[in-house]
Amino acid sequence: MPIEIKHLTHVYMPGTPFETRALDDVSLTIHDGEFVGVIGHTGSGKSTLIAHMNALMRPEVGHVLVGGVDVGEKNQSLIEIRREVGLVFQYPEYQLFEETVEKDVAFGPQNLGLPEEKIAERVRDACAQVGLSEDLLGKSPFELSGGQKRRVAIAGVLAMKPSTLVLDEPVAGLDPAGREELLQLIQGIHQSGTTVVLVSHSMDDVARFCTRLIVMNKGRVAFDAPPREVFRHGSELREMGLDVPECARLCELLREKGMDLPEGIFRVQDCKRAILSALGEGSKC
Amino acid sequence: MLKNITIGQFFPGNSLIHRLDPRTKLLLTLALIASVFLSKGFAGFLLVFLFVLACARSTKIGLKFLVRGLKPILYIVIITFLLNVFFQSDGKILVRWKFITITEGGLQRAAFLAARLILLVTVSQLLTLTTSAISLTDGLESLMRPLKKVRFPAHEIAMMMSIALRFIPTLMEEADKIMKAQMARGADFESGNLFRRAKAMVPLLVPLFVSAFRRADDLAMAMEARCYRGGEGRTRMKQLHFERIDLYAFLAVLLLIAGILVLNAVGVF
Repeated sequence: MPIEIKHLTHVYMPGTPFETRALDDVSLTIHDGEFVGVIGHTGSGKSTLIAHMNALMRPEVGHVLVGGVDVGEKNQSLIEIRREVGLVFQYPEYQLFEETVEKDVAFGPQNLGLPEEKIAERVRDACAQVGLSEDLLGKSPFELSGGQKRRVAIAGVLAMKPSTLVLDEPVAGLDPAGREELLQLIQGIHQSGTTVVLVSHSMDDVARFCTRLIVMNKGRVAFDAPPREVFRHGSELREMGLDVPECARLCELLREKGMDLPEGIFRVQDCKRAILSALGEGSKC
Repeated sequence: MLKNITIGQFFPGNSLIHRLDPRTKLLLTLALIASVFLSKGFAGFLLVFLFVLACARSTKIGLKFLVRGLKPILYIVIITFLLNVFFQSDGKILVRWKFITITEGGLQRAAFLAARLILLVTVSQLLTLTTSAISLTDGLESLMRPLKKVRFPAHEIAMMMSIALRFIPTLMEEADKIMKAQMARGADFESGNLFRRAKAMVPLLVPLFVSAFRRADDLAMAMEARCYRGGEGRTRMKQLHFERIDLYAFLAVLLLIAGILVLNAVGVF
């Protein structure tokens, strides 16, 4: 289900000295099957934006349409929207509360009012999707490791079978191996047909997987384009407190030194290939 | 939804009242509360009210904020008012309908008590709005110091208070976050009867407690790592000093109390 955002503006605590304009006339559409990266500096409005995507925040100025349904409309069934758009918060492991992993993952489907056997099936599917083995189901979520807890929390959202999955900094605070595993897993979820919106401030993470990048700056959409095009604006990105991926930066520096490298490289593999071919056959090492 | 609580919220500023020594503000708040109780009638209240209004004006805190802070006690005020209207009976009878009688005396008494409650909260709000939690507890500790002679743990209590105050916004933010996370999983905190709603709180309270304990543990560790050993021999970065403006403030409140006593003696209510 596409998510359409039209001229969305949000101001926190208006009329007080704490007034902040978190979103300023934002318009964009998330289409089915996309893998969208939302990137921006702290306070750029990312979190406010995604909270609007599943009606945790109702639009005050502007419109949000999920599958053509206006979220801001009164009497709109919110649970319907929240089932369609699953939202995984930052550090989602802090939302775990049940005695066992199984019960915790079942919390979402239970709220949807599904029958028992259907819930059990969804719990098993969701846990398998995030790579949690069956013998963990009976354990207390508080006994698990950090990475496992996070998977349980993500499974808790997946069990609602959303057509769009929004993840806010899903790899924050994980070690490099855990990061990699989780990112692969998210890619797998995308490949199985779920639209994915990945919020991050790591350019390298979004560069690898996303087909489209939305760069937020001071509550506005600064760029909305494929990664290749966004990374052409290196100096502007740096002005926003962001940067291009490390590979793109490396190529940029090498180009300045006079090496003949093509533009628009930001993945490690492409970078390696380009540098090797630029060094040429003559100087094989 | 949890962000609209203004009680205990500090409003940064640089007004005269903001710059007063926290000890002065604490003592004067007590004095103002005493003066509210001293007043025998509305004339005294008017005096206190004008004084508080003048203070509020000088701090540049909008009246809107003071009024908003009264919201939590609104029901208490209404209940007090109604109880007094219905159950106090002296003076002229105004309304008699079935078993309900409303008398002039009762009405007056009810208005008096409601006004007193509102004034009390407004006065203490002025203190918390203009004093940061840290200077407030610093002031408290300093005022409680003489009690140490009778083994009263002044420093520990002040420290506990400042930690508690410091963590209110953090826990509130945390609660808001967890609430949103559970709502994203279809939790419903807003509908259903009392029993259902209480049950719906479990997914919020369990993670909140877990994180509160985790934070407490982290904080204890961080304090220990920086060699915290209680109040003994501890120096402070911000020393408290009484200034000339503190003297003026004391004089102003003294004048106010004198005014109320005069009103009481003359018999203007």
